[in-house]
Amino acid sequence: MSEEKKKGGFFQAIKEFIYGVAAHDSARFALKTRASMEHLFILITMGDMLGVPILPPYYSLRLLPYVVPQISTWKRRMLREKDFTDALA
Amino acid sequence: MNSVVVVIIGFIVAFIGYRVYAKYIDTKIMKADPKRATPAKMYMDGVDFMPTSKNILFGYQFKSIAGAAPIIGPIIAIQWGWLPALLWILAGAFFIGWVQDYSSAMIAMRHEGASLGGLSHKLISPRARIILLSFLYFYLLLIAGAFGNVVVSTAIGLKAAPMAWLFMTIGGILAGQMIYRWKKDIILTTVVTVVIALFGIWLGTIAPSNKIIGDSLANSRWVWAIAAFVFCYFAAVLPIWRFALPINYVASYIVFLGLFFGIIGIFVAHPNFTLPAYTGFSIKIGPIWPIMFVTIACGAISGWHSLVSTSGTARQLEYETDARPVGGGVMFVEMMLAVFALVIAGTIYASATEYGAAIAKGPGVIFAAGVSKFLGALGLPLDTGRSYGSVMMIVLAVTIMQLVIRFMRIATSELLSDVSPIFKNAHIGTIIASLLGMLLVLTGWWQYLWVLFGGANQLMASLALMLVTAYLMSEGKPAAYAFYPMIFMFFTTVAALLYTSYGLLSKVFTGAVKGAEALIGNTLMGLIGFFLVIAAIILAVEGAKAFNRYRAIRAQAAPAKA
Repeated sequence: MSEEKKKGGFFQAIKEFIYGVAAHDSARFALKTRASMEHLFILITMGDMLGVPILPPYYSLRLLPYVVPQISTWKRRMLREKDFTDALA
Repeated sequence: MNSVVVVIIGFIVAFIGYRVYAKYIDTKIMKADPKRATPAKMYMDGVDFMPTSKNILFGYQFKSIAGAAPIIGPIIAIQWGWLPALLWILAGAFFIGWVQDYSSAMIAMRHEGASLGGLSHKLISPRARIILLSFLYFYLLLIAGAFGNVVVSTAIGLKAAPMAWLFMTIGGILAGQMIYRWKKDIILTTVVTVVIALFGIWLGTIAPSNKIIGDSLANSRWVWAIAAFVFCYFAAVLPIWRFALPINYVASYIVFLGLFFGIIGIFVAHPNFTLPAYTGFSIKIGPIWPIMFVTIACGAISGWHSLVSTSGTARQLEYETDARPVGGGVMFVEMMLAVFALVIAGTIYASATEYGAAIAKGPGVIFAAGVSKFLGALGLPLDTGRSYGSVMMIVLAVTIMQLVIRFMRIATSELLSDVSPIFKNAHIGTIIASLLGMLLVLTGWWQYLWVLFGGANQLMASLALMLVTAYLMSEGKPAAYAFYPMIFMFFTTVAALLYTSYGLLSKVFTGAVKGAEALIGNTLMGLIGFFLVIAAIILAVEGAKAFNRYRAIRAQAAPAKA
C-alpha cells in the first residue's frame, strides 16, 4: 500500500513537473489578465480609497459589498513597488 | 575517456552538492523554516503571489532558466579542452551556481517577494537600484544579440531548420486559437499541435530552405536576422496568449522530448571523447582565465537565474524549505544539461580539425549533429534527427529572445518615457530593441558576442551574490559561502569584459578592422562592455559601503550585549 502511494506520488510529481514546464506560465498569465481587469474595475469603482475619486460615492457604495473580499489584495497590488523585472513574474 | 564516466561523475557531484552542501547551508545558515509564512501565503492573491507545489515550480524554474546557453557555452568552451570545461561546469555549479539561485529566492522570500531592483534599494542603496536597472538593459541587449546570432547561424548552417521553425510557429498559433478562442480540450490541442510541429521537422528534411527560396537568400544573414526579430516583434506586441505563450507551450514538448530521448541515446551509444582533454591556456578568443569561465555561463553560474528566482519563483514558494529543491536542485539539473552538451561536442567528431570546421558554422550545427547521432542510436533517421536538433536550438534561443525583447520594450518605456511620451508606445519600444539587437547580430563576430554576453550574465550573478552577502551580513549570519564566490565572479567577469572590450576597441583604433560592419560591431560591443564594467564598479563601491554599514551596526551591538 505504501509502495502504491509512493508510485502514485512519483507519477504525480512527474505530472506536476511536466505541467510546470509546459503550462504553468500560461495559467499564471490567464490569472493575471483576469486580475488586471478586476483590479481596473475596482480602481474605477473604489478609487477614492487610494485618493483617485472617479465614480460618485453613491454608486461606489452600491458596489462595495461585491468587491470587499478583494480590496486588501487590490490595494497591495496597486501600491506595491514595481519595476520592469516584474514582467518576468 | 568514456562519456558515461563523465556523466556519472556529474551525477555524483550533483548528489553531494544537493544533499550535503546545499542541505548544510539551508539548515544551518539560512535556517529555512517550513512553518514560517512565505509571501505566497501572506499575500496570496491568486495571481503574482500564489502558493504552488514544488514539483510544478521545479518544472517552471527549469523551463525559465534552461535556454540555449547551457548548451552553447560548453560547445564553445571545449576549444580549451573538455577537461577544464568539465571542471568549471562542476565546480562552478557546486560552489557558486546553486548558491546564487537558491539564495536569491530565499532573500526575495524574506523581503516580501521583492524584485532584484527592490532588494538593491533595501539592502544596498537607492542609487544601486537605478544603476542595476540600467545595467539590466544592456545585459538584455547582449542576450538578444548573442542568441540572435545562434538563430541566424543555425538557420544558415542547417537548411532544414527554417521549415521546422515555421511549422512550430504555425502549431503554436493554432494552439493559442484552440485553447483561448475555440475552448478545445487541452489534450486534443497538445496532440494536434505537437504533431504539426513534428511534421514540420520531417518536412524540413525534404524541403530545405535553399530549395524554397534559393541559395542566395537561404545563406543570407540579413534574411534570418530579420526573420528572428520579426518573430520577436510579434511576440512582444501581440497579446501574449495569441503568439508567445502557445508557441512556448508547443516548443516545450519538442525540447523536452528531444532532451529526454537524446540523453537516453547518449547512454545507449556511450561514446568516448575524441577531442583532446586540454589544448592550451590561450586560444583565439582568449585565455582560459577569464574567458572560458564566462563562456560557460548558464551551466555553471548565471545572473538570469536570479531574475527568475526573485521575480517569479520566490512569490510562489509555499514553504521556505522548497527553495532548496526548486532553486538549488534545478541548478544541478542544468549543470547536467551542460555536461550533456559537453559530451555532444566532445564525442561526435573524429578529430579537432573536424570540430573546428563545424564550429565555424556555429554551435547550433554541432548541437544538431549531436542530437542527430544520439537520436540515431535509438533508430531515428539522421536527417530527421538533425532537423529535430536544429529546431530545438532555434526554439531554445528564440523563446528567451522574445522574452528579452518584451522586457526591453517595457524597460524602454520605464527609462525613457519622461524624455518623450513616444517611448511609451509598445511598437516604438519593440522596434528600438529589435533594431539594436539586429545591429549586434549583423555586425558582431559571434564568439566575441558570446563572451560579452557571458561576462554580463555572470556579472549580474556577482551582483545578485552581493545582495545575498548584504542580507547575510545584515542578519549577522556567516556570509563566506556567498562572499567568496561573489569576489571570484566579480573579478573574473570584469577581467573578461575588459579583456574583450579592450581587444575590440583597440582593433578599431589601430585600423586593424576592415569594413563598415566589423567597425560598427567592434565599436558597439566594446562600448557596451566598458559601460557594464563601469556600472559594476559603481555597484561594487555601493555594495562595499553597505557591507561596512552592516559591520559597524553589528560591532556597535556587540559591546552593548557585553
